Amino acid sequence: MYIFKNAVKSITRNKLRNILIGIIVLIIAVSACVSLSIQQAAEVAKEDTLSNLSVTAQISFDRQKAMEEMRNNADEGSDGMPDRSKFDFDILQGSSLTLDNYMTYTKALGDGDSYYYSGAFSLDATGDLLPYGTEEEDDSATTIDDDFMGGRNSDEGGQPNGEQFGGRGGRRFQVNEGDFTVTGYSSYDAMLSMFGEDGSYSITDGAMFDEDSDALECIISNELAAYNGLSVGDTLKLSNPSCEDETYKLKIVGIYTNSESSSEENNRFRMNDPANNIYMNYTAFSKILTKSEKAANTTTDSNGDETSAVLTNNLAFTYTFASVENYESFADKVYDLGLSDDYTVSSNDLQAYENSLLPLEALSQTAMWFFFIVLGVGGIILVTLNIFNLRERKYEVGVLTAIGMKKAKVAMQFVTEIFIVTFIALIIGTSVGAAVSVPATNTLLANQIQSSQTSGDRIGENFGFKPDGNDMKGDMKGGPMGDRFMQSRAQNYVDTVSSATNLIVVLELICVGLFLTIAASLAALISIMRYEPLKILSNRS
Amino acid sequence: MSLLKLDNISYHYDKSKVMVLNNLNMEFDAGKIYTIVGKSGAGKTTLLSVLSSLAAPTDGRIFLDGEDITRSDKYKFRSRHVGVIFQNFNLLTHLTALENVVLSMDISGKKFNRPKKEIALELLKKVGLSEDETTRRVLKLSGGQQQRVAIARALSYDPSIILADEPTGNLDGETQDEIIGIFRMLADEGKCVIIVTHSPEVAAASDKTYRLEKTK
Repeated sequence: MYIFKNAVKSITRNKLRNILIGIIVLIIAVSACVSLSIQQAAEVAKEDTLSNLSVTAQISFDRQKAMEEMRNNADEGSDGMPDRSKFDFDILQGSSLTLDNYMTYTKALGDGDSYYYSGAFSLDATGDLLPYGTEEEDDSATTIDDDFMGGRNSDEGGQPNGEQFGGRGGRRFQVNEGDFTVTGYSSYDAMLSMFGEDGSYSITDGAMFDEDSDALECIISNELAAYNGLSVGDTLKLSNPSCEDETYKLKIVGIYTNSESSSEENNRFRMNDPANNIYMNYTAFSKILTKSEKAANTTTDSNGDETSAVLTNNLAFTYTFASVENYESFADKVYDLGLSDDYTVSSNDLQAYENSLLPLEALSQTAMWFFFIVLGVGGIILVTLNIFNLRERKYEVGVLTAIGMKKAKVAMQFVTEIFIVTFIALIIGTSVGAAVSVPATNTLLANQIQSSQTSGDRIGENFGFKPDGNDMKGDMKGGPMGDRFMQSRAQNYVDTVSSATNLIVVLELICVGLFLTIAASLAALISIMRYEPLKILSNRS
Repeated sequence: MSLLKLDNISYHYDKSKVMVLNNLNMEFDAGKIYTIVGKSGAGKTTLLSVLSSLAAPTDGRIFLDGEDITRSDKYKFRSRHVGVIFQNFNLLTHLTALENVVLSMDISGKKFNRPKKEIALELLKKVGLSEDETTRRVLKLSGGQQQRVAIARALSYDPSIILADEPTGNLDGETQDEIIGIFRMLADEGKCVIIVTHSPEVAAASDKTYRLEKTK
């Protein structure tokens, strides 16, 4: 106890020196608190974002890998050009995975994981029904479609005139652009991006189709309904674009609105116009597919290749994961269930998540460097100050040991003094640091994001796209192409942190305090243990 | 049996290898004043350092109440059994007279049946300091007053031996007499008082004088 009392007396006796030490520790503490808080904020933001992140993943054909393999196989000829005959473009199309394949891979899902899927094909209008955006006697669709994938709508003669493409198997599918895109969803979950909290769709009349029913029921857009005078309860008669005799009757059970305006580009293709999207459940959807397969004509050309007019299902299968760990586990296990190496499992959500944290992580890294530099420099100053301090107090050490105080206790008194000053400064520093850490972090983060955005703008400018205003996502001088380019580069960064200094930061700061105390005391301890009272007092005499 | 006994004590400094003390044999009893005299360089202060265990003898043994303490805990010996009054007082100048004495009691680790502050005040009064002077920083006290504080500090934990190095060297004649009086009072109380001195008056006041000759 007397050691503590002595230490306190000694601190009050050497006010100036201890204030100086206190200021140094205070600066270190504030810097350390802000730096550690930034780092902690990054960790918390990471965890929070991750815990709220719904990870979805898709299995897709790895075109890049296939392309590389093909390039490696195509040896250069004598003219230095690759052997183009070795390029198999059918391989690059990738063989589509079937619904059965996707369902097999669901065995790799973990607890809490799920999946949903949707299919889409296009159908043509029949009779008086017109897709939204078609003017009477307007055949612009044919003209527009001419330059898009070679696809054709049903021409005036009613004969399908489509592009043929398909898999490696020799059987080819005749694909035509229809008037409408019909999409079948496996569950309401699959439609959450549209009708969910953040979606832009809502049912304004009637009701949503039954999730499990096999009745051919659908919902249509209010634009399409208004354009054709349709209402809930009416029936749409649609046909296979490749075979107009193959017709389907869909009952309208609901009418939806989509608050998101469709882009000008999409409107050029009627089936891509959101107003011409027809939605139904997958059970009913697959019923149409089955019927189409039975009804489809198959023709064989002179090369022996078969061409089928069956409706082509563009299947989109999405796996949803309860956690990133589950996703990573799935990405490994799925290959054991027979998925070819030609396919990859990827998640756009994770990529977006990682990108969103880039400025915060960059800031966190900078803050840590700053922290170590301040700690190092501050530590050196403290050690130096304490060496001088001890030299001044050598006589005191001599007297205390001469009257019987053990060197270890003298050292303990000196350490206690440094400890008290350090921790008082540390408490004040932590309080100041905690108060400024959130605004400081957000300001620094804003600068970091600004820097990233400026870099993005510069890239845009290098491509000849200039932003009109400060908002990167704003209109670009460069037209829709500029907009698209910049939107593709735009990121939703984590731009604010709400809480930075937490218990972990406080514990880390205590460690900092202990480190500074030990560093500053070490020189004192070594010196005290080497001092001999007789020598000190003799020199004094 | 002597309270303190030196048995063939020799001492030389590490570097010089010159013998400062050579085979000294001395005995000190309780209740007596001993003076150690000799010319400068004869080793008086060195002997005092050895006696107070501030310096360890190169050779020989020291006995306290018949127990060999040559290699025992020097801090414990210094803080409990022997009270040292240095020539330059060696007080902690940033503390008051009272704080110096109380600190010494704290360091000794001894248990006291009364508050330390009370005992310290009593001691300071006993050596002639007024109440006002006890709460003054020692730097603001005169040489004689500082010497009294040093004596009070040496007595604070009730050691059986009092060692004093030239305790009257810096004092005027009147104060010197008062200090000698204090030492006599301590000896009468049963303390063994060992004084290193050049002063014939102090030597004359002692019960026994050891004369140190310079080692050749």
